[in-house]
Amino acid sequence: MSGGASIGQMPENRERVTAWAMVMPALAITLAFALYPVVQSLLLSLRRQFLGVPALGDTFVGLENFLLLAQDPVARDAFLRTLGFVLCSTILEVGLGIGIALVLHEHFRGRGWVRAAALIPWAIPTVVASQMWRYIFNDQFGLANLVLYGDEVARYHPWLASPTWAFVIIIFADVWKTASFAGLLVLAGLQVIPDDLYDAAKIDGANAWQRFWHITLPLLKPALLLALLFRTMDAFRVFDLVFVMTQGGPGDATQVLQFYGYKTLFTEGRIGYGTAISVSVFLAIFSLSLVYLRLVGSGLLGKDAR
Amino acid sequence: MSWKPDHPAVWDEAIQAFTERYPHVRIEREIAPHSSTAYHDLLTQKLKNQDASVDVYFMDVIWVPEFAAAGWTRPLDDRFSDAMQAEFLPSTLQVGRYRSQLYGIPSRIDAGMLYYRTDLLAKYGFEPPRTWRDLVHQGETILVGEQSATPTLRGYSAQFKQYEGLVCNMLEIIGSYGGALIDEQSDTARLSSPETLAAIQFARTQLLGPMASRATLTYQEPESLAAFVRGNAVFHRNWPYAWEIANNPERSSIAGRVGVTSLPGSDGHQGVAALGGWLMGISTLSEHPDEAWDFIAFLTSHAMQRYFALQAGIAPSRTRLYNDPELLAANPQWRSQFAVLQSATARPRSPVYPALSHIMQRFFSRALAYPDLDLLPEARRAEQNMNRLLDLTRSEAS
Repeated sequence: MSGGASIGQMPENRERVTAWAMVMPALAITLAFALYPVVQSLLLSLRRQFLGVPALGDTFVGLENFLLLAQDPVARDAFLRTLGFVLCSTILEVGLGIGIALVLHEHFRGRGWVRAAALIPWAIPTVVASQMWRYIFNDQFGLANLVLYGDEVARYHPWLASPTWAFVIIIFADVWKTASFAGLLVLAGLQVIPDDLYDAAKIDGANAWQRFWHITLPLLKPALLLALLFRTMDAFRVFDLVFVMTQGGPGDATQVLQFYGYKTLFTEGRIGYGTAISVSVFLAIFSLSLVYLRLVGSGLLGKDAR
Repeated sequence: MSWKPDHPAVWDEAIQAFTERYPHVRIEREIAPHSSTAYHDLLTQKLKNQDASVDVYFMDVIWVPEFAAAGWTRPLDDRFSDAMQAEFLPSTLQVGRYRSQLYGIPSRIDAGMLYYRTDLLAKYGFEPPRTWRDLVHQGETILVGEQSATPTLRGYSAQFKQYEGLVCNMLEIIGSYGGALIDEQSDTARLSSPETLAAIQFARTQLLGPMASRATLTYQEPESLAAFVRGNAVFHRNWPYAWEIANNPERSSIAGRVGVTSLPGSDGHQGVAALGGWLMGISTLSEHPDEAWDFIAFLTSHAMQRYFALQAGIAPSRTRLYNDPELLAANPQWRSQFAVLQSATARPRSPVYPALSHIMQRFFSRALAYPDLDLLPEARRAEQNMNRLLDLTRSEAS
């Protein structure tokens, strides 16, 4: 929703009315479908409600749930684990994304096909992809074991039974799925870099590496930050991968915040506490987004853009 | 009605028979997820949101206290006479009660049992193991002997994934060491008792690794059964349903070479079977409680339980059916399964059971997944968390 070019003939306020009228439907839908649940969750997270213990009633307790959450070691573990997941997956995804974008930016025959093919993992629903990886890493008939050990069935490794491997595989599955999406965002950034900058640099005798380092990367900054922002927001909410592949196990090694929240809210019936977990995920994403947006903003308005 | 289908065709017939007898009642089926936990989450969502569209539902044996405390399910004592109750296995009625009111009518019953390879035990001259030590000893002997013929053969296959089934598996091992998850007398958690810790120590050092592949840390029932029917396990812990699949030549490479018995005990303690199964309840929001009751009474009747047992191998909850000659002829394994089913041990019965279960799942799964984990402090922490939850429900009672 940017202020477009003014149309000139129209008086100022009529133009504004028209603009609002055009924005209204989208805004109403957004408010109804996005804001209402958010506000509802915020309100619920300030209440104490435990379905199995009706005697506790359904009372307003202010920030009690969040104070409990801060002292809950299981939640702290889940938070740190989620943070680790976010860090590893976004860095890998954006790093790989740059590589994918550079390849897709080159002119070669069949580029359209390759671009489409690169997005296939991203087009597969996460639940389906998670099932697929669960089968690939299955101990008895998984593709991973077949590739690594072939006929030596006795050496087959139960990947998802190891806490470390299970966590690594969750990250791996996420990277596989979304690196191409990050690549797409970076590619959009690549395409707006004017070619004559590179020509000028070539004349000045800059080699490929220098051109990448001094031209491509600085000008990519907004796109990179956007990719990072999108991936961070998404990674923080990781749920379906864990739900399908490991259910948080083994030994809580893959229990991420959103899954812990789900278990608390839907299975245990601790409505207030479970919602507070979701709300803290929301707040974490929200504050990170603000930081990113400031950075993106400075990137867009700063002297190194355009 | 909300239901869990196991044998859709058999169910179609049953519902058809009901509508023929009660033509004024129309049964609308809503298919629930296969996983008990997923079904629980879906159903409690509906009930919590005052959804009156569900009249009848199935309850897993562990849900009754929660459903009763939350006021979602109707007391059925006035409809379910003492004479009727006398026909059911006592343990199945017990899990249907909460604070001396009855809420669930037992529809089918489950208990953990030990399946074993009759051919391998016979080859090495073993009787089915009576203690865990026997099981490990037999397993080791057979594995050494079969190493070259079947390199993938393991001694034991069970469900050690971090989910509800892990609690059942550990309850059995801990119980057979004389421990308990919750002390009945004081209603407090008992995870750090010496018996319990000894049982967990046995499971993580002697069962997991030497006997069971570490892959069992990712197994629920289907994966663990798959390993057994592919001929990759000497012993296998599962519910009664596994019998039919393990002996079905189309689905099993070991059909006809399978025996079933009660789970092992330890020195001085009997083996323990976790009680599972499904009860039928009526929603407090239902606008058709009488029709709902007719439906439940019909489905849990002697004739229908007999029909389900014959057609689908579902273990009945009515005592008399276990002496039914035709049934025993069709399911000879029920002779050995009956004793197990009768003496099965229920999981802790509490309205906050789902939360208690999550604490136990975390503790057991960590104990098994991290071999170096110091058990005692972890057990104490889990105990504290459980007792905090149990206190909530106690203060409600007073």
